[in-house]
Amino acid sequence: MTRDFSHAALLIVGHGSTVNPDSSRPTLAHTAEIRRRAIFGEVACCFWKEESSLRDALFFFQDASIREVYVVPNFISEGYFTQTVIPRELELSGRCTERVSGQVWNYCDPVGSHPMMTDLLLQRAHDVAPGVPEGETTLLIVAHGTSLNDNSAVAAKREAEKLRELNRFAAVLNLYMEEPPLVADWAKLTDTRHVVVVPFFVSDGLHSYEDIPVLLGIEPKAAGSATDRRSTAELFRQNPHKLHGRELYYARSIGTEARFADVIVQQAEAFAELKSGRELVEGLVA
Amino acid sequence: MSETAQHAPADWLDVLPCCVGEILIRRTEAGEFSLCHREDAEMESLRIEREAEAAAELARYDDSGRYRPLKTAPNLQHGWTLLLGRAEDARLALAYFYPGRAAAYQAWKKETLRITALRQTLARQTGMYRVAAGISDEEADALVGNFCKSDGGCLRTILWRRDAAGAVPSTLLPRVKFDPGFDQTGRGEAALPLLCQEACNLLVAEARKVVKTSE
Ligand code: SF4
Repeated sequence: MTRDFSHAALLIVGHGSTVNPDSSRPTLAHTAEIRRRAIFGEVACCFWKEESSLRDALFFFQDASIREVYVVPNFISEGYFTQTVIPRELELSGRCTERVSGQVWNYCDPVGSHPMMTDLLLQRAHDVAPGVPEGETTLLIVAHGTSLNDNSAVAAKREAEKLRELNRFAAVLNLYMEEPPLVADWAKLTDTRHVVVVPFFVSDGLHSYEDIPVLLGIEPKAAGSATDRRSTAELFRQNPHKLHGRELYYARSIGTEARFADVIVQQAEAFAELKSGRELVEGLVA
Repeated sequence: MSETAQHAPADWLDVLPCCVGEILIRRTEAGEFSLCHREDAEMESLRIEREAEAAAELARYDDSGRYRPLKTAPNLQHGWTLLLGRAEDARLALAYFYPGRAAAYQAWKKETLRITALRQTLARQTGMYRVAAGISDEEADALVGNFCKSDGGCLRTILWRRDAAGAVPSTLLPRVKFDPGFDQTGRGEAALPLLCQEACNLLVAEARKVVKTSE
């Protein structure tokens, strides 16, 4: 990293939840980690459903030394939140918004669209099923599907395609909770002895603790609740789950991966690169 | 500038000891910053924590282990004390306990805190929250009176008005709910305010529920 961000702030935006205590955990952890690295003058996070709110963030970074703010959505894909809610609440008028003070707010791409995502999924698959031969394994990337609000299904499909191109796993499939190809059909859709499932979400929660396990058949219905930490830890400790004559490894949501912090920083760097490139070109033309 | 704002310190840690919401901040003899629940001020044998990040966990659950979706609700857990060497860490811990409140306080002191009326917040909503704007004045009066009340609801001092004409947020709330000089815990001590410059998402969600049920 060569760029100097000491006069810049980083604002990480998460969704948050009013019912799930784990929803904001990864965003808070990535924020703390990036703050520790002391790359940016200031680092903060805000949420749609928790405090600090997106509106609160309008009063952050009041120190005159902060000339720029990089806003990075901790979301899997572009969609309703990145295109409508965040710009509206943060009063962003485009990719770059200049405030009355002269401070410029740069609106970066969401973490999920970073090319490093493929690596992280691969890494997660290895971590959850160490030593399991890839050639005898099907990797399942799971997203929600049929949600009007985001393009996470498209993002999961894109990642599955990229992983398939690597030709390492016997098969790589993108499966959805609510539209075909369905998670519930995993046993029919796969024919390898080992199956690794990675939820393509930014945090653990109801979907990864309850809904997907139920659809996979590894959790008796309504056995635990998303707030019951013991039953959720058990879910991951029991790997591999043996059913339908297969060995199924179930991973935590991809967003809990510590290297997400790197992706967040890189999204800000990528934006800065793009901007300085453009300024250079405009300067040459002028 | 109001008299309260004028006399208030510029920053939360400027004058110690001080109270913010349910938290008491003191300096120990060794010069450390000590944070604890105000009701635990005289307690010995409190569990000692030494990392600012511990505040995130303490703020997440109430005494019975239930998740706290609203950090300014009067249900902060008891039984801990947080000892931190640097002011920077004390600030960070307070930002976990009361996210965004110090920034709002500083902006209020500098008179740059922009206040948004409830009707404006509701009118801005899209998607599933768009219907929330349909709440009647009477319904909003009852909702805010119940949801935001300091006793069992939320310890913030409300700065916003119901509408651009300046109607009070709720006739059911005492005047002191809008007074930054008042200790919202009801303990009657000197306390720095947790300011509410704009209705939170929880209140917007409740407004939506009210509209949905009366449909
Ligand atoms: S609107 Fe403000 S006072 Fe009311 S509950 Fe939300 S944060 Fe508290």
